[in-house]
Amino acid sequence: MKLCTASETISFIRGLEEKGAAFYESLAERFPARKELFLAFSRENHKYIKQVQMAYQSVITDAIEGCFAFDLDTDDFILNTDLPRDTGMADAAKKALEIEDVILRCYTKGAEQSGSLLADVPRNFKLIVKKRQSRLETLRSLR
Amino acid sequence: MAILEEPIKGVPMAKNYINGEWVESKGEIIDVVNPANCQVIGKVGVSTREEIDEAVKAAKEAFYDWRRTPAVTRCRYLFRLLHLLEENFEELSRVQTQEHGKTIDESRGETRRGIENVEVACGIPTLMMGDSSEDIASGIDEYLIRVPLGVFGVIGPFNFPFMIPLWSAPYAVATGNTVVIKPSSEVPFSQTKITELAEEAGFPPGVWNMVHGGRTVVNGMLEHPGIEGITFVGSTPVMQDVIYPGCGKTGKRCIAQGGAANILVIMPDCNVDATIPGLMTSFFGNAGQRCLAGQTLIMVGEDNRFYNDFVEKVTDRARSIVMGYGLDESVQMGPVRDAKKKERIISYIETGIKEGAKLRLDGRKPKTITGGYPDTCFLGPTIMEGLHRNMRVVREEIFGPTMGILRVKTLEEAIEICNESPYHNGHAIFTSNGKYARQFQYDVISGNVGINIGIVAPMAFFPFSGMAGSFMGILHTQGKEAVRFFTESKVCIHRWL
Repeated sequence: MKLCTASETISFIRGLEEKGAAFYESLAERFPARKELFLAFSRENHKYIKQVQMAYQSVITDAIEGCFAFDLDTDDFILNTDLPRDTGMADAAKKALEIEDVILRCYTKGAEQSGSLLADVPRNFKLIVKKRQSRLETLRSLR
Repeated sequence: MAILEEPIKGVPMAKNYINGEWVESKGEIIDVVNPANCQVIGKVGVSTREEIDEAVKAAKEAFYDWRRTPAVTRCRYLFRLLHLLEENFEELSRVQTQEHGKTIDESRGETRRGIENVEVACGIPTLMMGDSSEDIASGIDEYLIRVPLGVFGVIGPFNFPFMIPLWSAPYAVATGNTVVIKPSSEVPFSQTKITELAEEAGFPPGVWNMVHGGRTVVNGMLEHPGIEGITFVGSTPVMQDVIYPGCGKTGKRCIAQGGAANILVIMPDCNVDATIPGLMTSFFGNAGQRCLAGQTLIMVGEDNRFYNDFVEKVTDRARSIVMGYGLDESVQMGPVRDAKKKERIISYIETGIKEGAKLRLDGRKPKTITGGYPDTCFLGPTIMEGLHRNMRVVREEIFGPTMGILRVKTLEEAIEICNESPYHNGHAIFTSNGKYARQFQYDVISGNVGINIGIVAPMAFFPFSGMAGSFMGILHTQGKEAVRFFTESKVCIHRWL
């Protein structure tokens, strides 16, 4: 499905982040030794949802091209969060990295497309991509 | 994509709010129709002369105490209103979409723009400060204070039911005046919702009033000796023939904002990829129903290849616009407000054809409306080519999702066409060349000028400008000019013997 408007793109991103957050919550249950780390990732995801929502609602003025800012395809950003029961930490981290990759690609492409149109929205997309780098390093260290 | 939940449920009656009480109008009751699905979503009364008189009386009585309420205290009511507006941001936005038809992105943009005016008005203790000079002569001091005047009328249009009354009302009450707001009876629920929040914010009875209705209410406001001034946004004929002369007859202050037929100039050096979404928003956003919408696109230069490639890209993008009910998040363009307005727009397209325009894209009979809604109020984007400067579709306001294209050889010629338009609201240029941009900004007659911006909507801390057929008055709504409009300068000279 094509995403063209800011409203549907923000909703889609919220869906990705929520799914990611739920995934980390499940990891927290499954790996008690890393519970705090995964719950922190989940909280961060929810924080990013708020950050994007605030940026969107702060700049979505009628001078800005909210209805024409994106040309994303949801098929390019399918999140598969299924994890077999007996998965170990290394495979779980690998899965998390795959999930992060999808989310980061969505933010990056969204920022590219709306860069000259939506002011603070693409700027916040980029900030989130930047902030997530340390999470990627942590996940890589768990593999 | 699923439809977001509709906030207006059942068929509520939009009531008047007079002296802190919600009262049903005694006048004729009319339907409020959602133009996307043609369903009746509410009722509104066409208020009588007695009802407007009652509201003005209440506002006048409330003025005495409100004017004596310190500015810092007055703005605390506005801070509470601001907080409530933020809390209800999503619902307020959806109300606009449901009653007007615009997309949810557009409604949220409108909500934000309206709220920004309340934010600016919250700074009234500073904005209202006067001036002083010590020792204008030895031992004599002079100072200026800004004082409120009394009751102001705020008359809103149908195209921005939430935002436009907020260009005035927050400044009016912040400066110590009281208001009577008359929303468009086509879209009464956005202002009803704001007024509910104003009540919750605790404004004293009579400070913030709202009376629904039509011409009777407008005439009642214009003729009422108890109203000090009017702000109006609507069509140019009403501005010129009714509002401005009406205010003149009774000596009222007046800000009257009318229509437009804005021109966007494309230079061959523009950034094409960034320009096209801007054009989509400008010409087709809000279904073309805004006084800052683009109506004519002037392509400068003789490079046929650039022209053809550019217009092809614009046409492809316009053709792909998703139309439907604005509460569907995928929708990029909603319906026009009603069938009568649709007919008027179609008649302009037909006038254009008769005058020699060629249709590059014909939106008169839209093929696909997402969700299968009736096409009663829907019009697709229309692109007309081969226009010349004297055609009616260039010179008159269409107020719909149409783009007329004409070609000129030079920027000077493009500016000349902008300047001979009867309207001067929001002309714009798209270019990568600073010299062209400056030349355009300097020479074009336009209240608001865009450089690589398709909708030149000033922020709340700037005046919403306009010239010629787009504006009558001296001061404008929003920001510092609104503060000046809603206050009189009182100059005091002191000598203590």
